[in-house]
Amino acid sequence: MEAVKKYSETELVLLLKQRQQPAFSYLYDNYSGALLSVIVGVVSDSELANDVLQEVFIKIWRQIESYDNTKGRLFTWMLNVARNASIDTVRSKGYQNSQQNRELTESVYHAGGTTQIQTDQMGLRKVVHQLKEEYKVLVELAYFQGFTQDEISKMLDIPLGTVKTRLRTALIQLRTVIKQ
Amino acid sequence: MNIDNYISSGAIESYVLGLADAQEAAEVQQLSLQYPEINQAVADFEASLEMAAFANATPPAAFVKERLMFALKDEFSVPIFAKEPAKVVSLPTAEPAIVRNIKSWRNMAAASVILLVISGGFNLYYYSAYNKANEEVTALLNQKNTLTADNKTMQVKYSDIAYNFQLLSDTNIIKISMKGVAGKEANLATVYWDSKTKDVYLIANQLPKAPTDKQYQLWALVDGKPVDAGMMSVDCNGVCKLKNILKAQAFAITLEKKGGSPTPDLTQLQVIGNVKV
Repeated sequence: MEAVKKYSETELVLLLKQRQQPAFSYLYDNYSGALLSVIVGVVSDSELANDVLQEVFIKIWRQIESYDNTKGRLFTWMLNVARNASIDTVRSKGYQNSQQNRELTESVYHAGGTTQIQTDQMGLRKVVHQLKEEYKVLVELAYFQGFTQDEISKMLDIPLGTVKTRLRTALIQLRTVIKQ
Repeated sequence: MNIDNYISSGAIESYVLGLADAQEAAEVQQLSLQYPEINQAVADFEASLEMAAFANATPPAAFVKERLMFALKDEFSVPIFAKEPAKVVSLPTAEPAIVRNIKSWRNMAAASVILLVISGGFNLYYYSAYNKANEEVTALLNQKNTLTADNKTMQVKYSDIAYNFQLLSDTNIIKISMKGVAGKEANLATVYWDSKTKDVYLIANQLPKAPTDKQYQLWALVDGKPVDAGMMSVDCNGVCKLKNILKAQAFAITLEKKGGSPTPDLTQLQVIGNVKV
């Protein structure tokens, strides 16, 4: 058995840019669980979330050249790749249809709860649920559904300045909860 | 500006979570370069976000990694040397296929060499057979040409003879046999004289071949005097037509110089025959 290698973030990025297979393998082993939790936060279906995870790692692999370590940590960059991919999936027509079917099925069989699972209780979403309702909506729309603040302002008929202020306040609270 | 206020404004969280618009993001980037405290605040939030995600890590399905590695297999750089012994071990499984491949190539090569040799043999055989047949065809063609030529000659001769036969069997023809003189008894020549047209034909039945500088000349004896009846041309085979003779008692042939003489050299008399009336 091969000893588990440990790379520093700089080292890992360098090896990924050199198209090294072991580095990619390590990246997946190390980050796939954390990134899946981010994806599951947006895409509730766990099978679909696994598909999105695969897509996310392909994007990370192919776009690693565009990662700039002066602008932030590798994980932050990957997290945003994962979030954007998840939102794209949720917004796709296929997903919308499958969600409608699922909701219908669940309402018929009263299956609820068990499979719709802990996604509501996972990661950031769990944290968001602890926020006040007026903040929760903003974070939900902005972070989990990918709407811009301008779009949210129009959707909720709230002035853009208010959206910005409230969202930031919400995020501050989020930070405090995360750090606990 | 109040750094603490900025840090607690939520702008940093908005930026890190990717919710900031381009202008807000540029602002945070600019300020974090300017103020180490802001830079630190960004780093802290990133780290806590990462920790939270790791704390909530959800193990993905095992097939995801397999599919990924398969999907990207052509995009990985090829290592200069394999570090894992597994890669070395994997070689022997590939070997039999290669060996089989080589064997089948060997068999095919051997088969093609044998076929080449066989075909080479056939080539030689057919080439010599072709040459032989070619020679035979040439020989047959020559033979055919010779036969054709002979045939033509025969046809010409036959038509001459037929003509002559018809000519000589005419009822107006008078035949004069000229016999060899003393010492040349073996010689014989015949004149066919048409009593109507006065045409004179000569057949050299038995005359030695004239020397190259000499020629046989026919004479008609008219009232005791020899009259030139023409030269026997060298190329005349069979019946030769000579000069017309109105009147004669006898015919004779002398051997004269080429082109003939005005008077016969009687010492060179070959044959002579009288006209039987």
